[in-house]
Amino acid sequence: MRLLVVEDEQILREQLLEQLRERGYSVDGAADGEEGRFMAEEYPYDLAIIDIGLPKMDGIALIRHLRAHGRLFPVLILTARGGWQEKVEGLEAGADDYLVKPFHPEELLARLNALLRRSAGLACPRVEIGPVCLDTATQAVSAHGQGVDLTAYEYKLLEYLMLNQGRVISKTELTEHIYDQDFDRDSNVLEVFVRRLRKKLDPSGQLQPIETLRGRGYRYNSGRAS
Amino acid sequence: MTGHSIHLRLVLAASLVLAAFLGLGGLALDKAYRESGEAALRERLLGYVYALLAAAEEDGQGRLTLPVALPDPRFSNPDSGLYAEVGGADGRVVWRSPSLLGRTYGQRRQVAAGVRDYLRYEDSGGSFNVLNFGVVWEDRSGAGLAYTLSVSEDARPLEREIAAFRTSLLIWLGGASLLLLIAQGVVLRWGLRPLREVADDIQQVERGARDYLAGRYPRELSVLTRRINSLIHSARASRDRYRHSMDDLAHSLKTPLAVLRGAVERESGEALRGLIREQVPRMDDIVQYQLKRAAAAGVGALSGPVPVGAVVRRLCASLEKVYREKGVVCERAVDEGLLFQGDEGDLFELLGNLIDNAFKYGRSRVRIRAGALEGGIRITIEDDGPGIAPDERVAVLRRGVRFDQRTAGQGIGLSVADDIARLYQGRIAIGASDLGGVAVAVDLS
Repeated sequence: MRLLVVEDEQILREQLLEQLRERGYSVDGAADGEEGRFMAEEYPYDLAIIDIGLPKMDGIALIRHLRAHGRLFPVLILTARGGWQEKVEGLEAGADDYLVKPFHPEELLARLNALLRRSAGLACPRVEIGPVCLDTATQAVSAHGQGVDLTAYEYKLLEYLMLNQGRVISKTELTEHIYDQDFDRDSNVLEVFVRRLRKKLDPSGQLQPIETLRGRGYRYNSGRAS
Repeated sequence: MTGHSIHLRLVLAASLVLAAFLGLGGLALDKAYRESGEAALRERLLGYVYALLAAAEEDGQGRLTLPVALPDPRFSNPDSGLYAEVGGADGRVVWRSPSLLGRTYGQRRQVAAGVRDYLRYEDSGGSFNVLNFGVVWEDRSGAGLAYTLSVSEDARPLEREIAAFRTSLLIWLGGASLLLLIAQGVVLRWGLRPLREVADDIQQVERGARDYLAGRYPRELSVLTRRINSLIHSARASRDRYRHSMDDLAHSLKTPLAVLRGAVERESGEALRGLIREQVPRMDDIVQYQLKRAAAAGVGALSGPVPVGAVVRRLCASLEKVYREKGVVCERAVDEGLLFQGDEGDLFELLGNLIDNAFKYGRSRVRIRAGALEGGIRITIEDDGPGIAPDERVAVLRRGVRFDQRTAGQGIGLSVADDIARLYQGRIAIGASDLGGVAVAVDLS
């Protein structure tokens, strides 16, 4: 999952980026509304965290702009004042949830998770496809009831594939959603991750949940898995 | 930047209107007088001609001649100012009035029979108003003889008359203008006196010599002075509220700060972390609560009527979005056109806190009803949550309890809502709802 954090307070922005990266998200930061707009138009994000009081273009104007230009990913607004009129304006502009500063990091992660799940059309944090079960809240994965130990990138890859089950996902799309902007992209690495994932989830090779479609990408197969 | 004074504007505008009005009136009167003078002159000249014709006799051959005794004695007296001459068809002089003695008469122009030719004639002898009148005189043989009767009157008397009229017109109009200007100045001074009094009173308020504008002001100004008084009142109330909030804020932040300072010296590792984790939310609660209290505008001169229905609808739509996963059904029954006399931000804050609680604690249903109450409005917010036990209902509003003495982590929504309601001389009552949870009733004046 690739996230965008638009926050002008440098320390808070860096704390956020660090916390989110620790939780396995690919995150980009923007220091003002203009930069946030540029990045949101340029890269395919799965969610944005936007502060309301931003320099150059305030958060509400930024959200309006993004919604008017067809960017439909969930948006979480951060507000310092916490007034209801401001919250309502933010939500009416197109935000999906709000958080009043200062907030507890766990609260932020819980809200993010809920928004990402909601946008993937899931009612609960657990995604279960056949014998494979993924918990987006705890980031735990199990197959046939046995816990599977995944690296951060393997988890990101599996989460993206499972949340988009049944859909063909190109290597470019996968790269864009699991790496942040500064990452050196090499599609061979992706193939290595997929191979390792297959081995960890399905050592016997009976399920083959991740299907390779030559020249098109990958698909997480719900049909064959179940 | 100050503009021109109202007094100066009114004097200038009224003087310009007066000048234009009287000037145009004077011109119209002058023109009318001159025109009627000229019309009378023509009538008079024609009258002289008819009188001469009536007095005319015929000589032995039947030709036109005039008697010695003429209809107007001025025709007989030299230099009388009234002259006449009769010319024949060939232009020769047939008859001259005795008043023309020693004068040449250049005014006569030959005109055809029946033609009246009025003209103005000027020469070294003066200026004259002239009528040349053509007639046909039948002689004894029955043949028509053409004559031109020319009558000429000295123009000076008429001009003197017009000049005299103008002078007296100027004197009267000028006098009237002066009187009007004086009257206008007096009326304006009298009419604007209340404004000067208000300005003086405001200066006294600024100097601290008095608290409010307390004079007896005319009806047109009393709306303004009432609003100013209301502004003064709300400015003072806000100032007091800010001051109290600042005092409270400083006072209540000192305890957690002291705890933290002591902990930095004595504790370390997990114990220090635990204390920070405990004290930071407490400080955050204190700051949020005091800020919200200080930010509430209260009843002020500038608070407009706010449609309650729109605020409730916007809050519900926003909260339905936030609590989408919970699937809360929100029923709204707000009277059409219900207005809240106060600040929009305050209404958002008051209802936002209460409706948010209902969404948070309710299981699946929230009901909001609002309607007019005698002298105010009542808004009721209900949910189907666990409810609040009767003996805890007063405590939950935490009235009269200083914030730092309250239990941390209880949330501040209800007490902020209660503070705002009391700013509007309103009250919040907590009861049980037939939905199963809490019913919060807000009465606002």
